[in-house]
Amino acid sequence: MAPGGRASSSATSVRTDDLTKRFGTRRGVEGVTIEVRDGEVFGFLGPNGAGKSTTIRLLMGLQRPSRGVARVLGLDPVADGAAVRRDVGYLPGELALFPRLTGRETLERLGGARDLRDTGWRDSLIERFGAEIDRPVRALSKGNRQKIGLVQAFMHRPRLLILDEPTSGLDPLLQEEFSRLIQEVSADGVTVFLSSHDLDEVQRLASTVAIIREGHVVAVDTVDGLRRTAPQVIELRFAHPPRTRFADLPGVSVTAQGERDVTLGVTGPVSAVLRAAVSDDVTGITARPVDLEELFLRYYDPLTEEKDHAH
Amino acid sequence: MRTDVMRLDVRLRRRGLVGYTVGMGAYAVLVVALYPTFKGDTGLDAITSGNSSLSALLGVSGPLTSPDGWMNANIYANFLPLVVLLMTIGYGASAVAGQDEDGVLGLTAALPLGRVSLAVQKILALVVIATPVAAVTMLAAVAGRRSDIDLATGPLVAATAAVIGLGIVFGLLALLVGALSSSRTTALGVTSAVAALSYVISALAPVVHWVHAVRWLSPFYWALGGEPLTRGIGAAATWTLVLCIGGLASACVWAVDRMDVR
Repeated sequence: MAPGGRASSSATSVRTDDLTKRFGTRRGVEGVTIEVRDGEVFGFLGPNGAGKSTTIRLLMGLQRPSRGVARVLGLDPVADGAAVRRDVGYLPGELALFPRLTGRETLERLGGARDLRDTGWRDSLIERFGAEIDRPVRALSKGNRQKIGLVQAFMHRPRLLILDEPTSGLDPLLQEEFSRLIQEVSADGVTVFLSSHDLDEVQRLASTVAIIREGHVVAVDTVDGLRRTAPQVIELRFAHPPRTRFADLPGVSVTAQGERDVTLGVTGPVSAVLRAAVSDDVTGITARPVDLEELFLRYYDPLTEEKDHAH
Repeated sequence: MRTDVMRLDVRLRRRGLVGYTVGMGAYAVLVVALYPTFKGDTGLDAITSGNSSLSALLGVSGPLTSPDGWMNANIYANFLPLVVLLMTIGYGASAVAGQDEDGVLGLTAALPLGRVSLAVQKILALVVIATPVAAVTMLAAVAGRRSDIDLATGPLVAATAAVIGLGIVFGLLALLVGALSSSRTTALGVTSAVAALSYVISALAPVVHWVHAVRWLSPFYWALGGEPLTRGIGAAATWTLVLCIGGLASACVWAVDRMDVR
């Protein structure tokens, strides 16, 4: 695919610095600083209500930031909104379409507004997703509406795709088809910014991940990097209740505590834990790296962080 | 200048637009067709002659059985403005706030066009939506020349333009309140209340002294208070409506530009 673009090119497709949006007393996002390099698939991961959609609307110029800067394809998405959006394909979260229009008329009107003349690629996407385009949108299931939403996001061959929960409502086969499509356009140099609350999806598609929780980006790393820095899980069993307060040891958090057993998350060297365990007559030990699921839950769960801070 | 969003919005309201236009056209033809039956009925004139309060409430100018009095009382003073306002206030409240609440404004706001263009196209759609019902009524009135409704062309065009202008004023107000509040209900409620108050001020101005003193606050007064079907529309009224539309349209562009879209 040869993405046609008029907005200026840059090494980073998306860059934000201290991007903040407040809605009166309601929290939006706070101090979001991220960078998405050209051609990258960037996963934006967080639970519902974390601020993913707000960040995306700021990137699309649909909302104005309260503070901070956003640059999309090198331009300000509010001041240069028309130029930015010419080169961006956007799928809103909780997609709504015009209920009375058919899928075909929806695509034709949105395509017409983008001066889309070559409809061959659009038609191939319709076929690929099996999108039902001849019935009014109001008569379609959520999955069928999502297919039309995906087609309109991809149909003008944008340089940058901003997709908010793109596989929401799609069955597993179509999720697979969507993954293949992302891989294809990514191979053609298209940058993809993808939000999701589904770890598997992001892990499968994205090379870099940002995790957002309660409006704050709490981690940005490659998927491999997140694995490398993940803590080890160590389970210890004792002949009698241990005297050591493991939580006081450096880099250690206690995730479960029984009378004669304890489960720890250990970041960094484990020697201090092992020495303390030996002095307490340890009878059994199991160690394994934390899996990504646990890692993400750790970022998601506010209680985990409070526990970490408390120690 | 692009018109994609304007055409889309008119398309979305096509059914209502056709329905109201056909309905109003049929009603206007009926009113025109009934005129020969009533034009000699002096009893009708007796109802309002010497009763300025009743005349004011009905919007009657002169005798009910004159061509302009008949058309005014049955169509131009109340029913036609009501239908036009239903359409324009409905669209104004839906164009921005309603579409935002429905989640579809994000689709059009994500197109490669600026917010000013988006707002201007919404305003143009409002003008398109305000026009057909008044235009078809005017055609019915022109056709009425065959049944003794011999209205002068100038005043008829002026009255039609005044009703369309009135519809645009309140449609813009609904659009503005919607863009500021992001709430269709607020836009509908506030604008309908202002329109109703404006109508009452205009209707009672001839008979209630203190209402007369504030009549200049009412767009209805400027559009219809000068009996445009009989006398046309004066320069002061024309300029007031034009400035009102210009001011509200500018405010709409400003409000849509700064609005947060879902």
